[in-house]
Amino acid sequence: MRPPIEFLFPPEIGAELIYSFVIVVCSLMIYYATKEMYELSSYKGIKYFRQAFLFFAIAYFFRYSIRFLLLLFNMSDMPEISPMFVGSISLFIFLYSSSMAIFYLLYSVMWKRWSHSKLKIYLFNLLALVIALIGTFLRGIETNLALNMILLIFICFVLFIAYKDSKNKQKGKSLFIIYLILFIFWVLNVIDILIPRFLQIYRLVIYIVSILLFMIILYKVLKKTGD
Amino acid sequence: MVKRGKFEIMRDILRIIQDNKNSIKPTPLLRRSGLSSAGFKEYYKDLLEKQMIKEISADNDKYIILTEKGFKFIERYKTIMEFIEEFEL
Repeated sequence: MRPPIEFLFPPEIGAELIYSFVIVVCSLMIYYATKEMYELSSYKGIKYFRQAFLFFAIAYFFRYSIRFLLLLFNMSDMPEISPMFVGSISLFIFLYSSSMAIFYLLYSVMWKRWSHSKLKIYLFNLLALVIALIGTFLRGIETNLALNMILLIFICFVLFIAYKDSKNKQKGKSLFIIYLILFIFWVLNVIDILIPRFLQIYRLVIYIVSILLFMIILYKVLKKTGD
Repeated sequence: MVKRGKFEIMRDILRIIQDNKNSIKPTPLLRRSGLSSAGFKEYYKDLLEKQMIKEISADNDKYIILTEKGFKFIERYKTIMEFIEEFEL
């Protein structure tokens, strides 16, 4: 029998807490480290970059609450948690915020190449809402896998165009590789939440790589901002 | 001659004011900015809106001075540009 403290806080919850906490802190540090630069310049690229990390922070916070509920009530899959109102709301916010984070990060490198209009932001919101609704209410494994694969292909395509148009290919290469791995691991994170058994044995690898990626981006930001 | 970017022009205008003991009349500022009258008006309005400069009156004349935000922009200009380049923003 588990000791009472372990019953209340199983080790998995601790690992989830550390994982989410590190990424939420990294994302918020990126958001606040770039605050002054945005306030001074009002530059749209910096605005979208910051918003991406704010959404990452929100998404990872809700990701933790979903995992916490799954572990606390000893549930193994999302369908079990879905009837619970908190579970559904958390899942919806998680999927919406994560999609918006990805869209904003992509838009931060693409906004100058695309004709600038508010319509694209509305379109991203609409797309993120559709993704969140499908993920929350149609939880078929095939549907979610297909949806995430489409999203990943779209991201890879946009990133490739951004890289092709990049002025400084040498410098841009490392950034686009970081973004590409970040997006791949982000999709794995989403799949891990929607279909927990699918990637169970690779979970630790997903966590470590995700943390490393956020830390690399944070390091690059802090190095440049001088904070 | 290489075309200056938006932030570079803003920095140059702010620097002219700073180098002039933080007080300059609009006409010499326009002349020294190297911009057309229409271009200068646009940047001038933008800098006022962003509260990087402000107008003060003294001896029946209008002077332009830098605000704290204006000084900060000059100081952080290089960092902002490097950040934009680093993250391809």
